[in-house]
Amino acid sequence: MGFASAQDAALGEAVFAKCKACHAVGPDATNKVGPHLNGVVGRPAGSAEGYKYSTAMATKGAEGLVWDEATLAPYLANPKGIVKGTKMAFAGLKKPDEVSNLIAYLATFAQDGGKTSADAGAAAPAEQKAEAPPQAPADGQTPIQPAPAAARGDGLKLGLGRLATEDEISAWDIDVRPDGKGLPVGRGTVATGMGIYDENCASCHGDFGEAVDRWPVLAGGQGTLQADRPQKTIGSFWPYLSTVYDYVRRAMPFGNARSLSNDDIYALTAYILYLNDVVDDEEFELSNENLATIRLPNEANFIEDDRASEPHNKPGVEPCMKDCRPGKAEITMHAAVLDVTPENSENDDAPAAGIE
Amino acid sequence: MTNSARPGAASRRAFLKGGLAAGAALAAGSAAAGEQVITEVQDWNRYSGEGVDARPYGTPSQFEAHVMRKNVPWLTSDVVSSINFTPLHELDGIITPSGLCFERHHAGIAEIDSKDHRLMINGMVEKPLVFTMADLKRFPRENKVYFLECAANSGMEWRGAQLNGCQFTHGMLHCVMYTGVRLKTLLDEAGVKPEGKWLLAEGADASSMTRSIPLDKALDDCMVAFGMNGEALRPEQGYPLRLVVPGFEGNMWIKWLRRLEIGDQPWQQREETSKYTDLLPSGKARRFTFAMDVKSVITNPSPQAPITHGRGPLVVTGLAWSGNGTISRVDVSIDGGRNWNTARIDGPSLPKALHRFYYEFDWDGSELFLQSRAIDSDGIVQPTKDDLRAARGSNSIYHNNGIQTWHVNKHGVIENVEIS
Ligand code: HEC
Ligand code: HEC
Repeated sequence: MGFASAQDAALGEAVFAKCKACHAVGPDATNKVGPHLNGVVGRPAGSAEGYKYSTAMATKGAEGLVWDEATLAPYLANPKGIVKGTKMAFAGLKKPDEVSNLIAYLATFAQDGGKTSADAGAAAPAEQKAEAPPQAPADGQTPIQPAPAAARGDGLKLGLGRLATEDEISAWDIDVRPDGKGLPVGRGTVATGMGIYDENCASCHGDFGEAVDRWPVLAGGQGTLQADRPQKTIGSFWPYLSTVYDYVRRAMPFGNARSLSNDDIYALTAYILYLNDVVDDEEFELSNENLATIRLPNEANFIEDDRASEPHNKPGVEPCMKDCRPGKAEITMHAAVLDVTPENSENDDAPAAGIE
Repeated sequence: MTNSARPGAASRRAFLKGGLAAGAALAAGSAAAGEQVITEVQDWNRYSGEGVDARPYGTPSQFEAHVMRKNVPWLTSDVVSSINFTPLHELDGIITPSGLCFERHHAGIAEIDSKDHRLMINGMVEKPLVFTMADLKRFPRENKVYFLECAANSGMEWRGAQLNGCQFTHGMLHCVMYTGVRLKTLLDEAGVKPEGKWLLAEGADASSMTRSIPLDKALDDCMVAFGMNGEALRPEQGYPLRLVVPGFEGNMWIKWLRRLEIGDQPWQQREETSKYTDLLPSGKARRFTFAMDVKSVITNPSPQAPITHGRGPLVVTGLAWSGNGTISRVDVSIDGGRNWNTARIDGPSLPKALHRFYYEFDWDGSELFLQSRAIDSDGIVQPTKDDLRAARGSNSIYHNNGIQTWHVNKHGVIENVEIS
């Protein structure tokens, strides 16, 4: 393969976006969901300090596996195939160029997160790509009707764009509604879901949906909605099960979206119901036939926007200008006391509800 | 604004005649040693600077490097699904520079070549269509200035004063000029069927962000924008295409917009059920709370921009906005809402855009409790935080448009406080 060029490393940086949810590199890198990857090229497997590896990865390290171009390439293409039982929930990179560019990029980071000599010349300007030719109507995109001569919008069709094909619509239109519209044909049980969940989801959401660190909690919290610190989960708060199916299918696992099959998503959704005590049978099977019939406990507690009925939202009330409140203003609470403002804080604890 | 500019001719004459009375601010006008920046020839006054090739895309002065967006790490689990804040205290006027517009992504910044981007319209339409970016640029365009506010802006403050700076309390806010095509124009092209009542907008990023939008709103003033502030959208703001939903919460302004679907019911997506629903003390939660209420904040002085010039002329300035339309008036109080004075709105007053207000007075060096209160074109007055808590408790997270209080001590140091 020879020496990777700075250009490869630059392209590899873009590929690294796929890893960033779980791994960090650079001077400030710490262990996240996965170990930090400074100096990983040349590092024994399972050796990042302070990181708790799976037994599988730790064993590989003990057996003498060292990460280099030759060992990383197959691992990144198929993590679970190469290290059976690894907890890296990542499907693998499909394109060989991506793998080699990514390795070239990782090779630019030394153990301490500084730049290695492999990065020499990285500052050289990347070769300029030729300017794209002016956009001409591409093949198959001929207007479906000729543009009217002096069209000015507003109801007048211009005949721009082309008809969407059925396979295009089905590739993108994956939304699912509470009435079941949009559900693909498929099925999966709680028991199957547990295996898929442990492999793909538990590293962030916790073994029981209780969440690791500050990743979202998926289960529990029933009966807390009126408490001082409500815990809003699928079981305690979400109104519709279709949303779980829809969301997990479009956005999870985080950093590797759209990688699971429709059946996997049914199984995961069934398992999430189980974690939330909505079903209690491990053999329970969820499918396109029964999903819309299952109700989540909090469905009835959603109301439409009635802010306009609040007393302070009454229009046309002339506000007070003089002597509006009695006495001098007294401070009842200081933000500075909480000391949570970014620049002046070492304190990493959230004081109250964060944003969602 | 600077001290050396302050003494006018009249006061200098008074100084020469009277010879005394001049405070520290006037020392520069004395016969003593002058300021070196004036008396000595400076490097920039002697040597030539960089040529026109040095900065093909200009960036702000190196002396403004502190003006930047900032993240509050503890708010979210990971920077890839996180938020940073617009430095409102460093800005003036009503337009937010593109590179300072706050960012909220759910799966990081999608990098999409505009040649690979497509917009699909499907669902209850006569003709499901696909547009390239080049197609979209052949429709009639419009240019509109709108604010965008995240519904969670000031969300941390429901439980009382938390963050010390308007960047963090109010910085999920920006206002730019958008260039794009009216959404109605595109929907007309596809032909919405009469059963259509809702529109689902979807992004092309790795969160495939989705929101349901009432069709009435979609056909009213929404836009599909490819430009901001005269150039292409920034990647952080959805390059090459985003939805503009004027006056409605920022989460609905889908970035990297790739699909619009027409349906007869809302889809109950994660971002309109699990999130962006407002929990009330009864345990019930409001949903589809789309419009952003009338709101204002004093941006200077504020905790990150204390008063450093001592007593004397002081400019108080801030922003006001409403999802209902324009701002008809802003009042400022310096005593914590006991007495109010009407501020001066300067610059354009455009519907659903930021408005800039000023209130100038002579500060006597005593303690201040600064507040601003906006009134919008519907006659709705910005409420106090206590009004809001009385109606909604403190677990609503979203839509906190309460009046903000900054406490100024006699040294000009400023703090975010709650008061009696
Ligand atoms: C969803 C989270 C996740 C993603 C995404 C992810 N990883 Fe990992 N990675 C992990 C975890 C967890 C481990 C620890 C594995 C174990 O202990 O079995 C790991 C381990 C590794 C290791 C072995 C490190 C060591 O010290 O032995 C390498 C190398 C690695 N990942 C590279 C990558 C690269 C490159 C990418 C992007 C293409 C990536 N990972 C994407 C979670 C992730
Ligand atoms: C690398 C960490 C990670 C992994 C692995 C992961 N998630 Fe997530 N999950 C997240 C983050 C972060 C969010 C919130 C994203 C946002 O709000 O933008 C989330 C949100 C969710 C939510 C919505 C939670 C709520 O309250 O709104 C569900 C449901 C979910 N994930 C299910 C899953 C499932 C099922 C899997 C396995 C297939 C999975 N996740 C894997 C990080 C992860």
